[in-house]
Amino acid sequence: MDIILLGQQLLGYIPLGDIVLYLAPLNLFMFAGSLAFTTLIAISRTETQVEAGIGTLKDNEVKVNKDEFKIRRFLAIVCGLATAGAMITGDLFNFTLFVCLIGIVNIGIVSAVKQIDVLDAAFQYGLVAMIAVLPLFGGAAMILASTGSLSMLEIVNIPTNAMMIFGSLLLFLGVAGETGVAPFYATKAEMFRTPGSPFLLIIHLSSLLVIIRVIEILLIINKPF
Amino acid sequence: MSKLGRLWNSLATPKRIPRFYSVILGILLLAGFLVPLALNDNQLYPRPAPQLQIDEKDPLAPYDRGGVPLKEPGIVRSQYPEFSEMAGMSTSYLSPIAISVSNTTIYYGTSIYSSPGGLIDTILYYTRGFDTILESSILMMAFVVASWVALHFTMRRREEE
Repeated sequence: MDIILLGQQLLGYIPLGDIVLYLAPLNLFMFAGSLAFTTLIAISRTETQVEAGIGTLKDNEVKVNKDEFKIRRFLAIVCGLATAGAMITGDLFNFTLFVCLIGIVNIGIVSAVKQIDVLDAAFQYGLVAMIAVLPLFGGAAMILASTGSLSMLEIVNIPTNAMMIFGSLLLFLGVAGETGVAPFYATKAEMFRTPGSPFLLIIHLSSLLVIIRVIEILLIINKPF
Repeated sequence: MSKLGRLWNSLATPKRIPRFYSVILGILLLAGFLVPLALNDNQLYPRPAPQLQIDEKDPLAPYDRGGVPLKEPGIVRSQYPEFSEMAGMSTSYLSPIAISVSNTTIYYGTSIYSSPGGLIDTILYYTRGFDTILESSILMMAFVVASWVALHFTMRRREEE
């Protein structure tokens, strides 16, 4: 195995038919980071928010009950595993599916809360995530149509044309919608205003890692250097 | 300057985000009409021309990929043939029911029988099987979320009131 991808020597690969997961140093580091954070989340408990009462000395505790705790922990673990998978996958369509799974699970993590404004924000985020599926898969399909391949180890050897650039723009817009980065951050920022801290953080971590990964993929497709 | 500030403030309203996103997507898709098409003929998953098999009155049209089960591979070209050596070996497999149906009608390929058990798709279940696993897990997560909300919010609403 003597393939160099963006200046990284590949350490190995995991073949699953046509879908080849590749192990490069940066990707392995992000994979391990995501898995370590998922383990931390799986063994931790939720925070309790304390609301100070005005005019009295009583404090109001906002707790997460057990049913809610269980479903959130399950969905947070799935989200962490999907993020870890998206870090090392070497196939474009596989990557878009992982991003889609992260989007669905993110809605699920906040769907269990009782604050109405948080649920409203989650609903709007769900709408954006559903619209974002169109550019996400459309971009991947356009890159497939103009290169004839979905494997990044093959695409890196194919010269870039205008249609691939357009496809990767669509792909980026799709990922931006699914992960809720600027300027579409407002829905996600509202979603954090709820108790249950460690599980909510995985929403944040997954979008950060996916953005780093999509930048790497865009560099592989467009080859600017 | 104050106009720019007002613009940023309007972006902080969650309700406007789907509309804003759709506008950007619409502009990008309209710009896509200007992009010259550069299609690659050497595609990874080849198929015969759509109307070719229908004109030949092939009962499996448009999904006939040829081959003999377990003996001769059909027309499936995979990216890495060394990782999927048996690709195409099962594309022409038909269950006994499927054979009897395909003998009676020429529209078998477009009927409900052409799902697994009839024409098994090597691409879906073998060369790109991991994608199929992910797709069904996306569906499963959607059902988990929906059923949790239904069980704990919709059904318990009366108890809490």
